[in-house]
Amino acid sequence: MKIVIGEGSCGLAAGAGKVHSRLDVLFSESNPANAEVTITGCNGMCFLEPIVDIYDDGGELHRFVHIKEKDAEVIHDAVCSNDLSKLDSLRISDEDASFLSQQTRIALRNCGNINPMSIDEYIATGGYVALEKILKGMSQDDVIDEIDKSGLKGRGGAGFSTAFKWRAAKAADDAEKYLICNADEGDPGAFMDRAIIEGDPHALVEGMLIGAYAIGASEAIIYVRAEYPLAIKRLENAIKEATEREYLGKNIFGSNFSCSMRIKAGAGAFVCGEETALIESLEGKRGMPRLKPPFPAQSGFWFKPSNINNVETYANVPWIIANGGNAFAAMGTDDSKGTKVFALTGKIKRGGLVEIPMGKTLREVIYDIGGGIRGDKEFKAVQLGGPSGGCVPASLLDTKIDYKTLGQTGAIMGSGGMVVMDKTTCMVGMARFFLDFTAKESCGKCVHCRIGTKRMLEVLDRIVKGEGKDGDIEMLEDLCIAVKDGALCGLGQTAPNPVLTTIRYFREEMEAHIAEKRCPAGECVDLITYSIDKDKCIGCSLCARKCPTEAITGEIKSPFEIDVDKCTKCGNCRTVCKYEAILVK
Amino acid sequence: MAIKYTIDGIEVIAEQGETILSSATRAGVEIPTLCFSDKTAIYGACGVCVVEAEGVPKLLRACSAIPQDGYVVRTDTERVLRARKTAFELLLSDHTGDCRGPCKLKCPAGTDCQKYVNEIKDGKYYDAVATIYDVFPLPASIGRVCPHPCEDACRRELVEEPISIAFLKAFAADKVLASDNKYKITTGADSGKRVAIIGGGPAGLTAAVKLREYGHAVTIFDQQPKMGGMLRYGIPQYRLPKEILDAEIAIIEEAGVVMKNNVKLGKDIQFNEIVKTYDAVLVAIGAWTSVPMSVPGEDLDGVLGGIYFLEKLGHGERPVVGEKVAVCGGGNTAMDACRTAVRLGAKEVYVVYRRTRNEMPAADIEIEEAEEEGVIFKFLTNPIEIYGENGKVTGMKLQKMELGEPDESGRRSPVAIPGATEDIKVDNVFMAIGQVANCEGVEGVELTRKGTILCDEMTFRTNIPNVFAAGDVTNWGAGIAIEAIEEAIKAAFCINNFLEGDEVRYKATYFVEREVTPEEFEDREKQHREKMPGPTPEERIKSFMPVYDGFTEEQARAEASRCLECGCHDYYDCKLIKYANWFDVEPARFGGSKRERPLLEIADVIEHNADKCVLCGLCYRTCEQVEGKTFIGLYNRGFETVINPMFPRIEAAAYCATCGKCVDVCPTGAMRKKF
Repeated sequence: MKIVIGEGSCGLAAGAGKVHSRLDVLFSESNPANAEVTITGCNGMCFLEPIVDIYDDGGELHRFVHIKEKDAEVIHDAVCSNDLSKLDSLRISDEDASFLSQQTRIALRNCGNINPMSIDEYIATGGYVALEKILKGMSQDDVIDEIDKSGLKGRGGAGFSTAFKWRAAKAADDAEKYLICNADEGDPGAFMDRAIIEGDPHALVEGMLIGAYAIGASEAIIYVRAEYPLAIKRLENAIKEATEREYLGKNIFGSNFSCSMRIKAGAGAFVCGEETALIESLEGKRGMPRLKPPFPAQSGFWFKPSNINNVETYANVPWIIANGGNAFAAMGTDDSKGTKVFALTGKIKRGGLVEIPMGKTLREVIYDIGGGIRGDKEFKAVQLGGPSGGCVPASLLDTKIDYKTLGQTGAIMGSGGMVVMDKTTCMVGMARFFLDFTAKESCGKCVHCRIGTKRMLEVLDRIVKGEGKDGDIEMLEDLCIAVKDGALCGLGQTAPNPVLTTIRYFREEMEAHIAEKRCPAGECVDLITYSIDKDKCIGCSLCARKCPTEAITGEIKSPFEIDVDKCTKCGNCRTVCKYEAILVK
Repeated sequence: MAIKYTIDGIEVIAEQGETILSSATRAGVEIPTLCFSDKTAIYGACGVCVVEAEGVPKLLRACSAIPQDGYVVRTDTERVLRARKTAFELLLSDHTGDCRGPCKLKCPAGTDCQKYVNEIKDGKYYDAVATIYDVFPLPASIGRVCPHPCEDACRRELVEEPISIAFLKAFAADKVLASDNKYKITTGADSGKRVAIIGGGPAGLTAAVKLREYGHAVTIFDQQPKMGGMLRYGIPQYRLPKEILDAEIAIIEEAGVVMKNNVKLGKDIQFNEIVKTYDAVLVAIGAWTSVPMSVPGEDLDGVLGGIYFLEKLGHGERPVVGEKVAVCGGGNTAMDACRTAVRLGAKEVYVVYRRTRNEMPAADIEIEEAEEEGVIFKFLTNPIEIYGENGKVTGMKLQKMELGEPDESGRRSPVAIPGATEDIKVDNVFMAIGQVANCEGVEGVELTRKGTILCDEMTFRTNIPNVFAAGDVTNWGAGIAIEAIEEAIKAAFCINNFLEGDEVRYKATYFVEREVTPEEFEDREKQHREKMPGPTPEERIKSFMPVYDGFTEEQARAEASRCLECGCHDYYDCKLIKYANWFDVEPARFGGSKRERPLLEIADVIEHNADKCVLCGLCYRTCEQVEGKTFIGLYNRGFETVINPMFPRIEAAAYCATCGKCVDVCPTGAMRKKF
């Protein structure tokens, strides 16, 4: 039997490390069935972490969820006695299991299935076959043509044709070229790339090697954010293993193709996810975007032709080479081929990583895979694309997920952040949150972004405080359009999107803040007061116990009361109340 | 192979690889830039060079975009203008400084006081006078009589006292008048257009000069024997010697202004005739009618409007006054009347004013000097009756007043104390409570309810298409001379536009201004203002001799050296302010916070003011790419980004060559050489 603990960052955060240690101790003390305790990356079901998968001797997978340290004893006992029925109370429900069964996993194909620290496990799933295939029988153009056939677009946000970029970089007349991976995943709420690196680092290494061969680069660099220490560790191991097996190095598979690979840890600036700023940062300069054109394919790292894709894009590449571009293109829509990974978060029942073929609707992802809104509350909107994206309202839930259709809503596909909001989320506050992020992360180079985002933020600050003025919305719109047009890079050009979509779909909500000094969602602290509905309160005292300022008092089994002078409007009471007895006005 | 494309309809030929900016500039299309320099790599930060090319979804930065054959590029689309204007507005919303000093901004005519004061400091008196003439003529006269709002605004007051700007003006003008190299007005090429100006006071004379500068033929009609208007007939000789005024009017006459005196409208010449004969007419007849007090006894012998009293002196008369004279009112005319009465031999001269000294509209110095000359101020009194015997005035009944609530003007209103009155014996009463216009003879021109000429505030046009008005006669009524001059300058601008067939409207220039606090000036060494030499009060009252001798040269230069030079040193070269006015910016619409940062000293010789910095990066890029140094660079992120030494702990000398190139390339006044 094999006991596999999900040890992505999400699993570890939920306590997988303690479960692992305990199991190690128990199995070192007694292991009659000769069971193996090992790890895997995140399988995407973050909402069930820590997860322990047990493969029985027949190779069948049994999945157990929300495992606590104390459960290790039961697991040990069940494994030792070869009776997994002892663990039935921990077994994943059929409903939760459907989270995975409704997905099509290409980029995430190995995540949660193999040990990311073991190249053998990667090879066992067909790893490095694609690399061998191209080096033994495909020209650079053949590779690019295959990628072209697949229709793969860059998964980092802009959605630019991968084959087009590769072709441009290949065509650039220079002996020295670079292939770069953008692993500076910075959108709040996005963790697709982290999961891939932590769960299947060799897929990235192999994908990059294929790309490097295609464009003619002999050095590959992964720019990964320093906030991903586990990803860096696993990637370092993968590079080491691949070098040892001579998948990396000189004359790979006996061909003329040689390539080295290294990691560069970023220093935490969001804008370094913008490809030209990333290049500046790689060169040791302040992370500020360069003017395009020239594009990196002509003049990139050290002004040499360079190709930059993100992690998910590269992770798809070995699969496409192995299975053929047509197989990839068979999935998705006319406009958008293949699959896309989303990080489903927010007020959702089943949050985690979801990979689906393009063309599914938002409703399918949120309701069928994600299980709908937590607490069965009313769905309000979903935020796509993080600070560069926008919110899509309930009326557009049946929007198909592809680059073009999402773009028409005012949101963007982005890198895959998908934050679900219910009626208690203030959309003005949401726009303010993202703008606060971009204003802080603006590199300060161009005027429109440096000062424009600041001014927009100031107006939104005013509005959420109930100090908005007539004409603020119009001024914001005007400023947003000017910033979109005038900003230097993608960060500034897309920074107004959250504001514009809020104005487009939730104008009334914004107007209520300005004209009536009212927050309809009951979230803007300066505009609300908390009270308890005496008819609904059963006097359970839960809210009083969760109140950080002891503002809630009362007798058990009779309605409680909130002292508004002590109340800091943190919202804890509202969150914990099971009877909807907390009123926010 | 050359690339052919059009920009704003103009055909442009670009070299292979040449940018839109470079090729368009060559073709004469101006594209604004702040961060561009041909000596450094393209940067693309400012975003003010954006243009739109048909079929290209995004706006292009002209500094980097390479045109393609057949491109149709526009710089005047709504998108382009919005993006550019917004960039300037955003920059200005975070820009703290004084484009111009408060002296210039508060001068109604917008005289560049800081400039001429500093020219005087440097001994360049002719340049100083030219600086004044750039705005208006008559500097020696106005320098003597102006209540100088510039000095009220002068920040030197926060150190000790404001600069004596007006006296310095008179000093420089006197100096040049007395020299062989008198100031000569440069007139424009003959336009073939003729303008008539009715009224030869400060407004009429100023407009005449401006219109001559535009190249129009100008004739001034005036009912008085000589030109000068109120400067001649309202201001006593002891304040403005008429020889000075004559000399300055002569300069105007030399500029080709035809001056016709003793011409009374409606009698000697008909207004309609003038309107028909001339291409444009400016009515600048002033406000010459004294406002009556409407109290019993006003018609008694010995009671006269203050302005009429002064006018008599202007005509060379020496009216006889009795021993006791009362002047009613608290303005400058009242001061002129009471001090004139003293000089004519009156023993007791009262100023009857219904409020207190604090509320007096007259200039402080006038009040002080009147007091020195023995004038008795009866504050909080209001005449309610003038007594007389045999038709001649003998006394006045005064109502005692107290101050009540502030009125619309912010001054506390006087309120009668019931039953409290006082009688005084007087031989003459001069009423100086205000002057109004008399538009008799100005036929067909629509008037306001006050009897002034109704004219548009931005075009100075009346209801008759080619008739304009300026000065005391317009809407708001009488004010100070420099305000009449202000209107004349604007009206002349509008008349010129009208004659050239352009949009007539006057457009105010946008400036960046800032607030200051006294703390900012705490470290300044005190250097008190120069005392104006002149006769003692006892000597003064014996005749109409000038009350001031004028500054000596030494004094003038010392006084001028006190100037704090508030206005930005880079105003004339600043691209930001140039474009701000080009794009009619309204940065106030954003409101929002501004960065406030201390001045950065670079190697003790260069000063960087982050509050004026637009972060174009030219300074540090020039340092790096042209000089090969890395002394300065960007620090912080987002809105907080500033220029900073790259290695603050290392001695500047190790990195900075003090070449000053960073200052030279700065498009605003953020960089300054201290050497």
